[in-house]
Amino acid sequence: MKKARLLTLALCLMLIFSFSSALGFAQTTVDVTVLNSKGEIQTQLEEIAEHYNRATSGVKVEIVPCPVGQSPFERTMAMYSAGNAPTIAMLDPADVVRFQDKALDLTAEQWVKDAIERSLDRSTLPNGSVIGFPFTVEAYGFIYNKQVVDKAVGGKFDPMSIKTTADLEALFNKIESSGTGALVISPMDWSLGAHFLAVSYTTQSANSSGIDEFFSKLRDGKANLAANKQFIGLMDTFDMMKKYNVDKNDPLSGTYDRGPELLGKGKVGIWFMGNWAWPNINEFDTANGQYGFLPVPISNNPSDYGNSQIPVGVTKYFIVDREQSTEAQQKAAKNFLNWLVYDEKGQEYVVNQANVIPAFKNVTVEPKDPLAKSILEYVMNGKTLEFMTQLPADHWPVVGASMQKYLAGAIDRNGLAAEIEGYWSKLR
Amino acid sequence: MDTAKSFLKKLRTFLIFAGPTTFVFLFVVIFPFIFGIYLSLTNWDGIASVYRFIGFSNYLTVFQDQFFWNSFLLTVKYVLYTVIFVNLIAFTLAYLLTSGIKGEEVLRAGFFVPNLIGGIVLGLIWHFVFSRALVFLGKSLNLELFSYSWLANPQKALWTLVIVSVWQYSGYMMLIHIAGLVNIPKEVIEAALIDGANDGQRIIRIILPLMVPSFVVSMFLTLQRGFMVYDVNLALTNGGPFRSTELISMHVYKKAFLAQEYGIGQSQAFILFIIVAAITLTQVYFSKKLEVEM
Repeated sequence: MKKARLLTLALCLMLIFSFSSALGFAQTTVDVTVLNSKGEIQTQLEEIAEHYNRATSGVKVEIVPCPVGQSPFERTMAMYSAGNAPTIAMLDPADVVRFQDKALDLTAEQWVKDAIERSLDRSTLPNGSVIGFPFTVEAYGFIYNKQVVDKAVGGKFDPMSIKTTADLEALFNKIESSGTGALVISPMDWSLGAHFLAVSYTTQSANSSGIDEFFSKLRDGKANLAANKQFIGLMDTFDMMKKYNVDKNDPLSGTYDRGPELLGKGKVGIWFMGNWAWPNINEFDTANGQYGFLPVPISNNPSDYGNSQIPVGVTKYFIVDREQSTEAQQKAAKNFLNWLVYDEKGQEYVVNQANVIPAFKNVTVEPKDPLAKSILEYVMNGKTLEFMTQLPADHWPVVGASMQKYLAGAIDRNGLAAEIEGYWSKLR
Repeated sequence: MDTAKSFLKKLRTFLIFAGPTTFVFLFVVIFPFIFGIYLSLTNWDGIASVYRFIGFSNYLTVFQDQFFWNSFLLTVKYVLYTVIFVNLIAFTLAYLLTSGIKGEEVLRAGFFVPNLIGGIVLGLIWHFVFSRALVFLGKSLNLELFSYSWLANPQKALWTLVIVSVWQYSGYMMLIHIAGLVNIPKEVIEAALIDGANDGQRIIRIILPLMVPSFVVSMFLTLQRGFMVYDVNLALTNGGPFRSTELISMHVYKKAFLAQEYGIGQSQAFILFIIVAAITLTQVYFSKKLEVEM
């Protein structure tokens, strides 16, 4: 009996000691965890981390994926509640300020000065301190398969020639008569709500204050969408797209994966999506990597604002945790971010391995990805619209659902306008 | 003196045997539950360190929220269909598989298997069946009904949820009904036979009344599972098309974590808890009354 008791005691003590040693003494390297919410570049980021770990001693960067279908906010929140916060978290722009009491002040970092104009808008607090690192610039519009459109127009296709809804319809017509499907509309709520419909917001005005004014009108229930020029124009384009959609008989059944497959294989000429789709298109590529962006036209007047521009903006920010990470971890995290911006290898990996367009002036690495090239062209020519990243968190599921209804013909345009207005006026 | 000692002794025994479980239950279920109720009275967004106590205004918002009640009505519809079909099919299967046909054991095991597959996997499998396999069949055989994906139509999408849930739970409930059927005393059935009762009379007058206990259990399980379903909903329709099949659990989850309104989501969850508890308890109470004393 006594022996048994002693044995139990010994076992308990052993357990306790093994726990404490695991916690206390095994800290020879500094662990930096990075929560990645861009699932399509998970393996690329892991490779980058591996390169970094080999190049630097005493630091181990580890990339943690955010599961498909979970928002980065959701995931980060859960990790914080579990006391297991990532040292670096990749967040959507609108969520950055919500983490202000948990994020490290990064104002003194060198890259703050090298960041391109307005790329820090969503990561700067009202008091001027910067808490977010702009990781990637993205853009969206109609992606065209050059081989298909070249064949359709009989020669070299000039993307600048599409400036109105009528031009676009003519192009769709030509593609169809060349024997290919014109376009595929992917019916995901985020694509229709956060990207397509947002074109009608961002084209309201060429400067942010004009757009903000429009949003406050929406919130007050004073913006009459059904009579709004941009909204009508965009929906006219959408109606026209619906006619040429290869999935028009069953418009809601498509999935995201169908888009890159159809476009890459040349079964359709055009797909509405953004440059994040490049790795997916590349898997099916039959056009020798020749793709580019077309703007979404919102009228038949070529000089209207929005008809020759595409929305471009920073869509992911990194924040560094200050609440649950040690100073050594915070320092290592800052070093890692600096390496991404200033180290030649870091730049090369970011641009050409992860296909990310950096938001820093000093990075001059030429991208190999055709969509990134196309975006840079629009940026160089100043043909950009503001990417609507400040929309409320439940904007895309709610308004995206309304867009799906409209796509399926379950509501008409007035119904759609009423639902969108209803959403905005209910916000608090 | 003596009573005090025996109380201490009892307490010690209780603590030795039930102590750990009670401790875990308190900290994992009861305290979070109470803290959750407290959070429903605040304006917490899920991440901020500071939040305010705002009284019952979250509950007021929920009661005025048309989406919440639509989603709730949809769930009631879904539960109604699943409870009826699951129990109907489960009872029929149980009756057939206790009547002594060949290969009973194998068939029983076969019908039970769907219940062993996790909801997410099951949802993904059926997603493929509804969006690809059936559409392919429909198009090649020119069947209008299957030519378009059921998942893209609000009414049919609800039925896909019902079909998958029925497929998943029928086997499990069948087991419960088989246990009930086997436990009916042979004498009673023989007596009925001798008295000249036919098959139908035997089922309605003898078997069903004696099966009430197993119906109580299976109804309770299907009701509760129906109201709480999330995994199949997520993997099969993900609330689509256009949020028309967003059942109540998914609605609450999205409110709390996606719309970043944790306080409102928590109050919705609490309201849901009260409604489901009330429904299942009344069900158990009334069906208990139907039980026959032997």
